[in-house]
Amino acid sequence: MHAISFTALLLSMLAAVGLTALAGMKALKDDYGTVALFEKGQVLLTIVVLAVSAVLLQALVVRDYSYVYVRDYTDNLLPMFYAVTAFWAGQNGSFLFWYLCVAVMGWCMIYTPGYSHLDNRTKVYFWILFFLTEIFFLFALTGPSNPFTKLDPVPADGRGLNPLLQNPGMIFHPPLLFLGYAGYTIPCCLALASRLSGNGREWLDLCRNWNIVAWIFLTAGIILGAWWSYMELGWGGYWAWDPVENASLIPWLAGTGFIHTAIVGRTRKTLLRTNVFMVALTFLLCFFATFVVRSGMIESLHAFGGSRMGIPLLVFLVAGLVLTLYVCLVPRKDDTTSIDDFTSRPGMLFLASWLFLCLAGIVFLGVLWPVISSLWSENPVGLDAGFYNRVCLPLFAVLAFIMSVCPWFSQKSGIGDKAALGVVLGAGAGTAAVVFALGYRQPLALFSAVSGVMIAVSVVMVFVRNKGLRSFMPSWGAYGVHLGVALMVVGVAFSGPYKVEAEAVLTKGQSMAVGPYEVRFEELRHDHGNPAMDTHAAILTVLRDGREVGRLAPEKRLYASFQQSTFAEVSVIPSLGEEIYSTLLGFNEEGAVSLKVSINPLVNWIWIGGTLSCLIAFLCWRKIERR
Amino acid sequence: MSTSKNQKWVYLAAVLLVGAGVGYLIFSGLSQNSVYFLNVSEALAMPAEKLAQARLFGTVSADGLVHEPSAMGVDFNVLDKDDPSKSIRVTYRGAVPDTFKAGVEVILEGSFKAGARQFEATTLLTKCPSKYEKNARGQMRPPGSEG
Repeated sequence: MHAISFTALLLSMLAAVGLTALAGMKALKDDYGTVALFEKGQVLLTIVVLAVSAVLLQALVVRDYSYVYVRDYTDNLLPMFYAVTAFWAGQNGSFLFWYLCVAVMGWCMIYTPGYSHLDNRTKVYFWILFFLTEIFFLFALTGPSNPFTKLDPVPADGRGLNPLLQNPGMIFHPPLLFLGYAGYTIPCCLALASRLSGNGREWLDLCRNWNIVAWIFLTAGIILGAWWSYMELGWGGYWAWDPVENASLIPWLAGTGFIHTAIVGRTRKTLLRTNVFMVALTFLLCFFATFVVRSGMIESLHAFGGSRMGIPLLVFLVAGLVLTLYVCLVPRKDDTTSIDDFTSRPGMLFLASWLFLCLAGIVFLGVLWPVISSLWSENPVGLDAGFYNRVCLPLFAVLAFIMSVCPWFSQKSGIGDKAALGVVLGAGAGTAAVVFALGYRQPLALFSAVSGVMIAVSVVMVFVRNKGLRSFMPSWGAYGVHLGVALMVVGVAFSGPYKVEAEAVLTKGQSMAVGPYEVRFEELRHDHGNPAMDTHAAILTVLRDGREVGRLAPEKRLYASFQQSTFAEVSVIPSLGEEIYSTLLGFNEEGAVSLKVSINPLVNWIWIGGTLSCLIAFLCWRKIERR
Repeated sequence: MSTSKNQKWVYLAAVLLVGAGVGYLIFSGLSQNSVYFLNVSEALAMPAEKLAQARLFGTVSADGLVHEPSAMGVDFNVLDKDDPSKSIRVTYRGAVPDTFKAGVEVILEGSFKAGARQFEATTLLTKCPSKYEKNARGQMRPPGSEG
C-alpha cells in the first residue's frame, strides 16, 4: 500500500496541475463554462486524500511497522486511542492531516448555499487559487514530507509516542490548529477570486461562516496548547512567548483583526481592499507559522526533525504575498475611502483591527529578530519573553478597554448611549477601587482587570438596553465571545503577576510554605502495577491556618518505552480562586522529594473564558439562502 | 479652518500619539530585552568584554555531568552542536527538566563568568520533547541526527 498511496498522491498532484492549467487557459479566453469539471476534480482529489488517510490510519491502528511513520510514533504498548492520534503527532502525518482538512473543506464548499451565489467567473478564479494551494500540499506529501515511506526490514516494535503527547490536551491541540489553518483557505481564495473577477463585496457575506469556523478552531487550538503547557509540562506557565507559540498567535491576531474589519466592510460598505488584504495575510501567516516551525531558521524550545520543507514553504509564501499585493494594489472603481469618523462604532472596530495587526507585527518582529539582527550584528540578537510582556501586554489591555466601550458608540459619530456607557465606566471605577483596596496594585494588571470587568458589564448592558438583540442569535454569539474574552483578561491579569511559587526539598513529615499555605509531605508512594509505566507519587497535604484544604499527589512516571526519561504528572487542587499546583521534580532512595508548588490565582477563568468564546462563537453563524 | 480639517488634525495627532507610544514600547523592549543568541562556538569566539547576558544553545555532554542531590540543580558541559570539541562549563541551580540528560539539546539563559569559560544559567530548557524522535535504544536524540 505504500507505493499505491504515494502514487495516488502523485497522480492527484498531476491532476490538480492539469485542472489549474485548464482553468487558467479558460480564464484567459473568458470562457467560464467548465466549472462543473473543476468541482468534479475537487471531489476526486478529496476522495483520494480520504483513501490514503484511511490507509495511514489503518497502518497506525494495526501497528504496521513497515511504515517509517508508524514505527516512529507508535509501539505495541500504546493504547489504541493514542495510536489513532499519532496520525498528526509527526510532521508528515500532520501535513497530510492539514491537506485532508483543506480538501474536505473544498468539497463541502461546492454544496454550500454561499457557493451558489458565485458567478462562474469567480468560481473559476476560486478553483485556480484553491488548486494551487492543494498542489503545494501534494508536492510536500510526495516529496519532502512523505508519510508513506517504507521501512525494510520491518521491526518487531515501534519507538512509541512521546509520553508528553499522551494527554488529552495534546491530542486535540494540533488538529485544531490545522483545522484553523485549513479553514482560512476558503475565505482567502474567495476574497482574491472575487476581486480578480470584479465581483464586489459579496464574498464578505459568503465567507463569513467559514471565517468564524476557522477562527474558532485556531482559537481552540491555541487555548488547548496553553492548557497543555500548564497541565502537562509541569512548569506551571501557560505562555512562554516561544517562537513556535508565537507562530500560531500571529495568524490568530491577523484573523481576529479581519473579523472586525469585515464587520465594518459589511455594515458600512467600505474597506474592500483592506478586507481582501487582511484575509489573505491571515492565510499566508498560517503558512509562515509552519515555516517558523519547520524551517529550522529560528532557534526555539521546539525542535523539529528535518528542514526540507523550509524552501518550499518560503517559495509558497513569497508567491502568495506577491499575488496578494498585486490583487490589492491594483485599484478598482468600487474602492471607497475608509472610515469617516473614528469616534464611531466602525471607527472603534477599525482601531481595534489596527491594534490586532500591530500586535501581529510586533510578535512577527520579535520572532524574526534573530534573523533581522544578523544583518548588522555578527552574532544574532534575540528577544526574551520580557520584550513581549513589555510591548504586547499594554496593547492587549488597551484593546480590552476599547472592547468595553465600543458598543456604546453610535454607527455614525459620537456616543450613542451615554447612560449605558456611564454604567460601564462606573462599574470600572468601582472595580478599580475594590481591586486596589484588596492590595492588587500593579498598574497594568489593575487596568486589565478593570477592563475585563467593564467588558462583562458592557455585554450584559447591551442586552438590557437593546431588546431587539435578545432574539438575534448572532448577537448572542458575538457578545458571548467578548464575555469569554473578559473572563480570560481577568484570569491573565491576576494569574500572571500575582502567582506565588516555591521550591523545596522535603523529607517525610516536613513542610514548606507557599504564600499563606503550608504544604506537608506525607509519603512517597510507588506503583508498578501498570506494565506501560512505573509511578512514584508524593502525597502532600495542603493546610491553611492549620486547616486542611486538600491533598495533592504529583507524580513521576517512567514509561516502559522511554526508560531513559521520567515524566512529571502535575497535581492540582482546582479552584476558581487560588488554584494550588504541584510538581514532583525528583526524589532519592531515602524518600526525600524535591517539589515545586505554586498558587495560581484565577487561572481557571482563562480556560473557562476560552471555552466559552470558542463554543458560543458558533452562534455567530448566519444562514445563507441558496440561490 | 473648517470642522473637517480640524478633525483631520485631531486624527493625525491621535495617530501620531498612538504611533509614538507603540514605537516607544518597541524601542524600549528592543533595547532592554535583547540578548545574544549564541551557539557554543560563537560564544567562545566572542571577545570576553562583549559577553554578559545571553541565550546559549548546545548539546549536553556525557562527561562532567554532576547532578545536585534531589534534582535542584546540575553542573555540566555544553557542547557546540556542530563541533563537539568546543564546550562551556555550565552551572545551574533550580528545577531540572525531566528530559534533561546527556545528548539532548538545551537552551540556557543566564550570564557568562570568566569570559566564555563558565556560564551561570538561570533558566535551563530542553528542546520541546514533543517533536523529539527516539533511537533504537529508546534514548531521545536531537532531530536530524542519525539513530
